Amino acid sequence: MAELTCEGRTIREINAEIRRLLKDGEAVTVSSPGARHNLGVALLESGDVLFDGSVGYYCAGLIDGVKVRIKGSAGWGLAESMLSGEVIVEGNAGNSAGAAIRGGALVVQGDSGARTGVSMKNGLIIVTGSCGYMSGFMGQGGKMIICGDAAEAFGDSMYETICFVGGEIADLGNDAIVAESTDEDKQFLDASLTRYLPASVRANLPDGGDFKKVVSGRKLWNFKKSEWKTWEQAL
Amino acid sequence: MCGIAGYYDKSSDSTGLIGCTVLDMLRALGCRGPDSAGVALYHAPADGDFVLQIKLGEAGHSQNPTENVIAKVSALSKPKDVSTTGGYLRLTIDGALDPGRVAAAVESTGSEVEVVSMGRRLEIVKQVGSPDRLEETFRISEFKGSHGIGHTRMSTESKVDLSHSQPFWAHGCPDVAIVHNGHITNYHKLRRQYEQHGTRFYTENDSEIIGVYVAQGLSRGLSLEEVLHAALADWDGSFSCLVSTADAMGFVKDSFAHKPLLFGETDGFAVVATEEVALRAVFGSELKVREAGAREVKVWRN
Repeated sequence: MAELTCEGRTIREINAEIRRLLKDGEAVTVSSPGARHNLGVALLESGDVLFDGSVGYYCAGLIDGVKVRIKGSAGWGLAESMLSGEVIVEGNAGNSAGAAIRGGALVVQGDSGARTGVSMKNGLIIVTGSCGYMSGFMGQGGKMIICGDAAEAFGDSMYETICFVGGEIADLGNDAIVAESTDEDKQFLDASLTRYLPASVRANLPDGGDFKKVVSGRKLWNFKKSEWKTWEQAL
Repeated sequence: MCGIAGYYDKSSDSTGLIGCTVLDMLRALGCRGPDSAGVALYHAPADGDFVLQIKLGEAGHSQNPTENVIAKVSALSKPKDVSTTGGYLRLTIDGALDPGRVAAAVESTGSEVEVVSMGRRLEIVKQVGSPDRLEETFRISEFKGSHGIGHTRMSTESKVDLSHSQPFWAHGCPDVAIVHNGHITNYHKLRRQYEQHGTRFYTENDSEIIGVYVAQGLSRGLSLEEVLHAALADWDGSFSCLVSTADAMGFVKDSFAHKPLLFGETDGFAVVATEEVALRAVFGSELKVREAGAREVKVWRN
């Protein structure tokens, strides 16, 4: 295991050093991240990276395959555009966590901010706590599990992202509907939560069958003049 | 982009080095706004007198109207503790006077002369340049008090000078100050409405409208909480905004959560900043922080 301090280094130097150590097959612990921006961006090597403290904006964005753990909070745009890999933040995440991810898994063990999972294409997002305003906005694929509450405009204008909410939904976004959960959905929830959350956290969560499933109502997929009222509302 | 920060000491004995705390947060946020820096800080009340911070003129092209200001103010009441620092005249005056009359007397001495702050506890200093330069000029790290807010500015739509810098005093309303990150997009419409009722605007900075709005709300008898909730219906655009009064500090975030703002709280203090980097720089790794949500309003008071 290799340790690397952020003190006295530029972000470019830190990220280059993380990449070099991963290439050498080392698990990397990054100390004193100090909530600085752009840490661990574009890591294309696999391996394990631990940030021993809070990180700033865009941490672990554009990664492919690496497993990242953050022992603190994360700022805006956590794991943005991740291709594959795993990002676990032990605290809260800011706005746009998991924006536009194409794969991999993002786990927020606290609360996440507004627009969580905006425009996600695939992959999995799990939020142990609650998510902020307009989460799931324009989601094109993948799955999002919110164990706590969802704030206003949840799942607005989605394509094919499938969301599950364990707590209360303040208000559904345009064209978002609550659908019937299938046995397959319950199995998926149980398997995902078991895989990514510690037993102590799972003990306090609702049962897989109690999650509400939210999907697109598909009313906004194709423009029809006869449905102008729906569009007027959405726009 | 701008950076804003606020610190509120719940113990309220007004002995903490709050200037140092706010300054260190602004230093960490400095890269969000290199144009200007400023703070609004609250000390223990001094015998009920008003403390005035007065801008004599923009740097470099001011005559020195200090004597004119003192002459005008003396006609109302004898000023005390008169001093000048970095283009500012600071003085204290009888707190029983009408704040509007005091400000009008001061500002009648020249078009560039402006009361930057007035209050029994509040003092605002701001200038073009970095937080480090603000410290060099005003030694704000030595300021003791109960709470304070600060701002580093990246100008996007109005000019870079002292008057356009933040925090803004809520003109006419003693002890009330604001800092704002974002844009108030219905600024021109609101400004026109206020001007039709005789409100004077000092700048072309959209954030100035926030001070005017808060001053009018509070003077109508609304609580700070009520003013901030009402703002969600009346302001358009993006805003993360901090407002401080003699005994409280609060924030409001716009309906779309466009602009960042985090906060953390312990039994002893509450702290708010645009980015976590400012909180980690000052409070270490243990403090739990959370991004404020859309339409979230929070107020701390003793």
